Amino acid sequence: MNFEKVLFAFFIILALSLNFGFFIGEFSNPEHHHPYELFAALIVSIICTLMKFGDRTQFGSTVLASSLVADLQLIAAVIFWALANNTGTGLIDGAAMASITSLAGGALIANLISVVLLIIETSQVRK
Amino acid sequence: MSDVFFLVLRRLRIPLITLVVVYAIATFGMTLIPGVDPNGEPWRMSFFHAFYFVSFMGTTIGFGEIPYAFTDSQRAWVLVCIYVSVFAWLYAIGNMLRLLQDPTFQQAIAERTFSHNISRIDQPFYIICGYGETGMLINHGLSELGIQTVIIDYQAEQTNTLELDNLNFAPIVLTGDSTVPDNLAKAGLYHPHCSGIIAVTENDHTNLQVAVASKLLNDKVPAICRSEFEDEAENMASFGTDIIINPFLVFSERLNLMVHNPSLHRVQTWFINQQSAEHIADRALPLGRWIICGFGRLGKTIQSHLAKDGIEIVVVDPDPIASRAPEDTIVGRGTEAKTLHEAGIMDATVIIAATDDDANNLSILITAQQINSDIYTIGRVSSESNQVLFEQANCDYIMRRSQLVANAVLTSISRPLVSNFIKYSSGLSGEDTEQLIRDIESLPGRRDPVTWRLILDPFNAPAFCRHLSSGKQLTVGQVCDNHRISEARCIPLLLQRSGVSHLLPRSDMELMHGDELLVCGRRKSLLLPQRLRDNDELIDTLLNENHHYIPLLRWLSRSRSDSVETGT
Repeated sequence: MNFEKVLFAFFIILALSLNFGFFIGEFSNPEHHHPYELFAALIVSIICTLMKFGDRTQFGSTVLASSLVADLQLIAAVIFWALANNTGTGLIDGAAMASITSLAGGALIANLISVVLLIIETSQVRK
Repeated sequence: MSDVFFLVLRRLRIPLITLVVVYAIATFGMTLIPGVDPNGEPWRMSFFHAFYFVSFMGTTIGFGEIPYAFTDSQRAWVLVCIYVSVFAWLYAIGNMLRLLQDPTFQQAIAERTFSHNISRIDQPFYIICGYGETGMLINHGLSELGIQTVIIDYQAEQTNTLELDNLNFAPIVLTGDSTVPDNLAKAGLYHPHCSGIIAVTENDHTNLQVAVASKLLNDKVPAICRSEFEDEAENMASFGTDIIINPFLVFSERLNLMVHNPSLHRVQTWFINQQSAEHIADRALPLGRWIICGFGRLGKTIQSHLAKDGIEIVVVDPDPIASRAPEDTIVGRGTEAKTLHEAGIMDATVIIAATDDDANNLSILITAQQINSDIYTIGRVSSESNQVLFEQANCDYIMRRSQLVANAVLTSISRPLVSNFIKYSSGLSGEDTEQLIRDIESLPGRRDPVTWRLILDPFNAPAFCRHLSSGKQLTVGQVCDNHRISEARCIPLLLQRSGVSHLLPRSDMELMHGDELLVCGRRKSLLLPQRLRDNDELIDTLLNENHHYIPLLRWLSRSRSDSVETGT
């Protein structure tokens, strides 16, 4: 058992599940989407990216690419949230929430691809 | 992408992840801990504010507590965050600095710089394997000729001094094993400008490996190798090595020449690398009894080449059985008078100190001179720095192995026809040589003779080529001698036509396209072929006997002002 691989699989699946947890709920309802979940999804996704730094294998570079996509989407979502929140009322409206959720949905697809790649790579390992 | 880039990224993984985690925890904590706004209402930081605060706290420890003054619990958390983030940054920066100093990283950078430099070469270059004394001399010589070099040596200490030498062309240095084919490829063996590979390492077997590898990888690149064992040399030759230089063999042949045809030796030394300080004795070597002290590679080669025609060779060796010396060998080192007397030094004519120990050689020579002051002394010097001592000891002929190899390599690179001339002229008889010397001495002027190569191709000799293409004939004599410009006369030494060398071509021999002609003259002004090669009018005037009054006048006035400038 390779500890590095366990850790990487853990983080990549965690990124997907956190992302999904944030995404699920009524699309434009702020009460269904918690900022902490988005924050956690972003941090875990960044850690996944860093863990694939300097990996020269085909799998490593593809996962690096897809997790970079997820990072970009999540960072865009976070910036959007920060700007929408600062209008003064303290709460964000439904339209802004819908945009954030859709960005997080894009990140979800990228994370899903990472996990699928992980599964494919694992299934190719011969005993 | 390069290895360096991946290496940096891989090493930065842990420090970067640490930073991200520390920042995430600090930000998360700031959003959790409740604060109080100026109206006394409970208030919580948003992620945006928290990240803003943590960012400047981590790098500068603060612009104050914003947007509102913190409560005690918030301050306690900030206190923790400050220390943790400072350590996280120190750890990350420390890691990056350590990475910069890491030998692996430095090596990766050096390799990248090296391959970048190789790919940027835009002129012919030579690869030198082994940077010992010989390699150094060759490198200096090539640099003076304006030729780029690439050096491979496994010892970084050897090549480090290169930075201090103020060479015209800075060589590109690779520290590595030259027997690894990959290193040869990296050094530019496949490069379109690679014009040769020179293997002059200390080890004959390494030279052989380099020769074999270079011939298998790219047989278009000429290979020049030093070899001190005959069987290794034969092995090299079987792999198509272009030039093999055995210093002991070259030296023995020279001695042979100095005995049997001293004037030819004189001619050859004129043409070998003219700037070199090879110690050449003028007087011919006498016949009679020769004593060789030390029966190693040099001793064996000399013995097998010279033990004939009036030379009696006496070998002195401390261990005749191990060195397979002849049966009548005198046992001893030759450094003491007793052994030398046993070898019959009183009526010997030549003594050769051929051991590989400079101190012993010096001792042999000095002892021999004390006993027999008329004896001709030949000493082998292994280390260039001891050369001075041999000169002080009045040694008549010094064999400098490194200088000899370097000169042979440089001559074959810069003046291949001279190399061929030396190779084939060994067959010249004494009378022919005397005649050649008289011819050279009769050349007008008083300067030392120099050689020059005429290449009959449209680039180097356009006027000659047009002359030939118009169907007219061109002979060696026409090119080298004309009574109307007798001061530019020169002597043809060698004609090379499609790989075949014709020694001392007769003056009625016809020249053809692609011929190469080696001539010898005195450097007063330009030699006749140098003047003719791109001057159609002059060829028409001198060779076709047509009259071009005005161009001839112009040319005469120009050549007169030239000779005034040179002060002859």
